Amino acid sequence: MAFNYDEYLRVDKMPTLWCWGCGDGVILKAFIRAIDKLGIDKNDICVVSGIGCSGRFSSYIDANTVHTTHGRTVAYATGIKMANPDKHVFCIAGDGDALAIGGNHTIHAARRNIDINFIMINNFIYGLTNSQTSPTTPQGMWTVTMKRGNIDPTFDAAKLAEAAGATFVARESVAEPKKLEKIFVEAIKHKGFSFVDVFSNCHINLGRKNKMASARANVDWIEDITIPKKKYDQLSEEERAGLFPTGILKQDTQTPEYTEMFEKLKEAWKNNTKVEL
Amino acid sequence: MSLLKAPENTPVWTDESRCKACDMCVSVCPAGVLAMRYDPHSILGTMITVIAPEDCIGCNECELVCPDFAIFVADRKEYKFAKLTDKAKERAKKIAENNYMMLEDA
Repeated sequence: MAFNYDEYLRVDKMPTLWCWGCGDGVILKAFIRAIDKLGIDKNDICVVSGIGCSGRFSSYIDANTVHTTHGRTVAYATGIKMANPDKHVFCIAGDGDALAIGGNHTIHAARRNIDINFIMINNFIYGLTNSQTSPTTPQGMWTVTMKRGNIDPTFDAAKLAEAAGATFVARESVAEPKKLEKIFVEAIKHKGFSFVDVFSNCHINLGRKNKMASARANVDWIEDITIPKKKYDQLSEEERAGLFPTGILKQDTQTPEYTEMFEKLKEAWKNNTKVEL
Repeated sequence: MSLLKAPENTPVWTDESRCKACDMCVSVCPAGVLAMRYDPHSILGTMITVIAPEDCIGCNECELVCPDFAIFVADRKEYKFAKLTDKAKERAKKIAENNYMMLEDA
């Protein structure tokens, strides 16, 4: 008997609509394993996803799911969490969903420190709409909108989340599914806004024109640009160029969580006093 | 429905209705247990095959990297896996050089 993923899947929707070798499937698998490891009942989970290839995530997992409008995953998830503070709420968004159209929602959810697990699937391109430049596309790469090479500087999502006040920031890639599962477990355990930047492969829309046409080649490239945080800290400033540290980048357990603060606010209204901070 | 119950005495098995032939499982296998065969009914023209189940070391890597929930590895408690041999390593290397396709003499 192998690990039974089907318990958590909508089996009638299989096989998935994702391309062969797509990292989204690996992330879904790691996510299911993490939930199983923590022993969370699937009725206590709400998965909110937006538009993009990552939006299919909520279609395949058999839990409470919402497939929302483009970039508004966090807005919906905030409402769900406020109404059900005891449930686990997950946001699954792509890099365009989380940083471009929904960038504003992301930073404000991080600032409020509401207990949402935000999983950003970062595939460096707008994959669903066929290869337009996304905020995270590396400089010099071919895209449909930048055919002579991308000139836009690359966005570091983890630094954005850290600066905005997220209390748990981590980065991992599909190249190491075991580590990915561990990071998800840590993120779910954490009370407060947790932001996980997951590097994923899109060998169809990014890879084919950038000399990594197979899933293996694209994942190898991701392995080349990521480095564990411990090793990254020992490098000099010049050596760090083009590399991204992986692992838990920030964890702060002191900052109060938003739904708890909201309870205090309700008490204050009942007692006709000022809220205790 | 996929195969939830392990076939008798099998370390690794696949669900061909889900496999999209991305080669990822073959590329991570250290023991050359997996390879692709030609299949005219598959979209990419190839399909996953378990060529040497007796050499499986139970590392679980193939199951973890499969994005389509198409490959399963038996539990360590239920199956006694083999140790990694030089012959198996050599075969894995040859399969990788052969574009992850099955070797002709195998």
